[in-house]
Amino acid sequence: MNRRNFFKLTGTCTSGLLMVPDFLYNYALQHENGHGDNCIVFVQLSGGNDGLNTYIPYQDELYYKLRPNIGIAKNKIINASGGMGFHPALSGFADIQQKGDLTVVQNVGYPEPNRSHFRSQEIWQTATASNEYSNDGWLGRFLDHHYKEHHPVGGINIDNIDNLALKGEIPNALTIQNPNALRKANKAPVNVKLSKNPQLDFVRKIAGSVVDGAKELKKATDNASNSNISYSKKSKLSKNLQWIAKLIRGGLNSKVYYTSLSGFDTHSNQVNEHNNRLTDLNDAVSAFYKDIKAAGKLNDVTIVVFSEFGRRVQDNGNGTDHGTAAPMFIIGGKNKGRNIGSNPNLSNLDANGDLIHQIDFRSVYASLLHDKFCFNPEKIGITNDRVKGIF
Amino acid sequence: MNTNTLWSLRLGFSRKEADRIQAQGIELFLKNSFTTKPNIVPSHILATTPKTVADIKAVKQSVKGNRAKIRERLKKEKKILFTLKSWWIDKMATDDYPLREKMTLFWHNHYVAAYKKVKVNHWIYSHNNLLRENAFGNFRELTKQALRTNAIIVYLDDTKNTKRGLNENLSRELLELFTLGEGNYTEEDIKNGARGLAGLIVGDNETRYRPSLQDNTPFTYFGEKGVFKSDDMVDIIFKQKAAPYFITRKLLKWFIYDNPSEELVHYYGDYLREQDYEIQPLLLKIFTEEFDKPTAGSKIKDPLTYILQLHEELNITTQNNKLTALFIRQQGMDLFDQPNVKGWDGGTYWLTAQLYQQRNRLANLYCNGKNVSIRMLKNTGYDNEPYAATFDINVKWDKGNNLQVINQLKNRLLFDVDIETQKNLESILTHDFDAEDKDANKAVIRLFNYMLKTPEFQLI
Repeated sequence: MNRRNFFKLTGTCTSGLLMVPDFLYNYALQHENGHGDNCIVFVQLSGGNDGLNTYIPYQDELYYKLRPNIGIAKNKIINASGGMGFHPALSGFADIQQKGDLTVVQNVGYPEPNRSHFRSQEIWQTATASNEYSNDGWLGRFLDHHYKEHHPVGGINIDNIDNLALKGEIPNALTIQNPNALRKANKAPVNVKLSKNPQLDFVRKIAGSVVDGAKELKKATDNASNSNISYSKKSKLSKNLQWIAKLIRGGLNSKVYYTSLSGFDTHSNQVNEHNNRLTDLNDAVSAFYKDIKAAGKLNDVTIVVFSEFGRRVQDNGNGTDHGTAAPMFIIGGKNKGRNIGSNPNLSNLDANGDLIHQIDFRSVYASLLHDKFCFNPEKIGITNDRVKGIF
Repeated sequence: MNTNTLWSLRLGFSRKEADRIQAQGIELFLKNSFTTKPNIVPSHILATTPKTVADIKAVKQSVKGNRAKIRERLKKEKKILFTLKSWWIDKMATDDYPLREKMTLFWHNHYVAAYKKVKVNHWIYSHNNLLRENAFGNFRELTKQALRTNAIIVYLDDTKNTKRGLNENLSRELLELFTLGEGNYTEEDIKNGARGLAGLIVGDNETRYRPSLQDNTPFTYFGEKGVFKSDDMVDIIFKQKAAPYFITRKLLKWFIYDNPSEELVHYYGDYLREQDYEIQPLLLKIFTEEFDKPTAGSKIKDPLTYILQLHEELNITTQNNKLTALFIRQQGMDLFDQPNVKGWDGGTYWLTAQLYQQRNRLANLYCNGKNVSIRMLKNTGYDNEPYAATFDINVKWDKGNNLQVINQLKNRLLFDVDIETQKNLESILTHDFDAEDKDANKAVIRLFNYMLKTPEFQLI
């Protein structure tokens, strides 16, 4: 199989469509500037993260009125400004915000919100409307367009199971538990030559992905410079982000990395549970931020933290039920370090007592694709207006 | 691959029926398949789950507000669901003439009603049984009956659809996913259809309209005007020109081609309309006409066929099929729990690098006579389940030289072998292979194991 992994250089942000002859792809690959080294690292908080107890409207009396049991006391909130501040477990986030490397996009959601975990994750991962279904994920569709031919490590998902977001027509993304996992794969030679049978070729490409992916991952982990940033040894998320940092330092040049942290479904015992999860998130993301910054790559690497939905405004005694809109956090990648969108409006809730979203998550996706990859989001069916001012 | 083996895999789940197809010929084999009786679920599985609407309400009421009790109840029901899954897999693996089960599974993936939303085992069970009983029945009548199952109206939110507040979900999927397919109806039809479906509520045996919730004002549906209810709506839908093609395409995909040609879809679809939407004559026509065509390798194998084929080939008879259910769940084919209302997409959606490796790991374990870890069962809350840590595996082969043995296995496992793959096979079972050698069987199993991991084995 031909594995010169050229990407499609079909557009630039300023001048629209460009026709580039094939030989120039090679040139572009070696001499990328501007957007070429950009990548996005997604951290999905599974279970529905309670946005209101993560980035807290501490000046809104309604917040304390509706959350008598689980509200975070004013004096514990950190980095308070403009009526909003962080949960005490998020000291690292506060620090990154002070350095001007963190943007909070507030009240992110979508119309006709679905409160089932699975379905809402699917909506976020496919970037479809809540009554539409797509077989392919939004990042998978992006990778289908971005790469000219099969590129096994275009996206890396560090997890035990595949992620719909990265599923495209062409298998351009790999799911791995860690970068060494593929080395144990089939040692015997497998015929991966392309035939005239499209179904057979699809399977052969996947078989080739495992072989080539193992090679690329090994090359990157071997190349990676040492890092003296320490990560928590007990946390899976820390370990996963540590791997991702190593792959980035080693020059893997994947466009998208994806990992997740579960346990945010805090119907009960929220105060402790949520504190533990946010501590885990905070430690992992802070270490990753320092690692990437020390490697001089913070301008190229954008970290996006999101969840499938927020939680109900009114607490249920000692927890919260499924809700709707919540903030997204964007770190690095030359973001402007602002707060985008107004603070959550607790006096105007929907019939379920949930926040009404202000910014569609697909608008955030549109900005990420446009600003980081010079990619027109309409090509993959995202027609929402971009959120301006993130980068 | 031998044609009878190929069709045994397609019309069932393994090579098990190959000899029967050869002996009877495809036509008689199909006729015998159509006359099988739909055995129903043994009642002991459902003995402790609530049955009537009143029972279900009473149980819910009894745990209300007590989180520990709610969790306990959910866990118990989940276990019953798993018993149902393994019962069904047992049946698919062991039934003579398993075509009825393969069709039941087809309908199960057509009129999708997933447990994670329906949450009542009895409704899941009666829905499944309806599909089994009508596996070869009339598509139009089955659609009417599907709308009378509690599982469907709960899954597609029709219990929230009343004249006071319409919910279009069922109305939309009835057209988009059950019958006509996208592009063959208008948004107006969906909006109006919701009025015809408003007021359906769950019942002990089937759904019914509650007079105070239904909408009895006339509406227009595909150009006809009247006060239509679900049966009338289905009759109108099946008068539309597009009605036979969506299901015909899906059947061709399920059994033979990941990408059927539109020409074939129309050819068989027109026949389905001529037959007034009777499924049995359609299947007979499709399978007898496609039987001799060179169609091998046009479809990626689903996870269930993959694992049941391994069980059959390796003579694994003691597997606890709860583990089989867990394996296919990992592979994206959770029984009674499709990811969304579209059901499993099949085709290239059955495989990713991750899933392919998972298949290969299973193949390696099985070929070494080992089972997957018991932890898988324990993690799902099962203690004291029958579990075989090892299997006494046995791959059938007749003595001969390396090329003869390679050919025997190829005929059962690989739809096609090109020069390069053949070279690989011959480098595993080399020309100095001696069938009389004491390690000969081990060498054949190594070859067999290798074949399972080839891209070619993933296709039928």
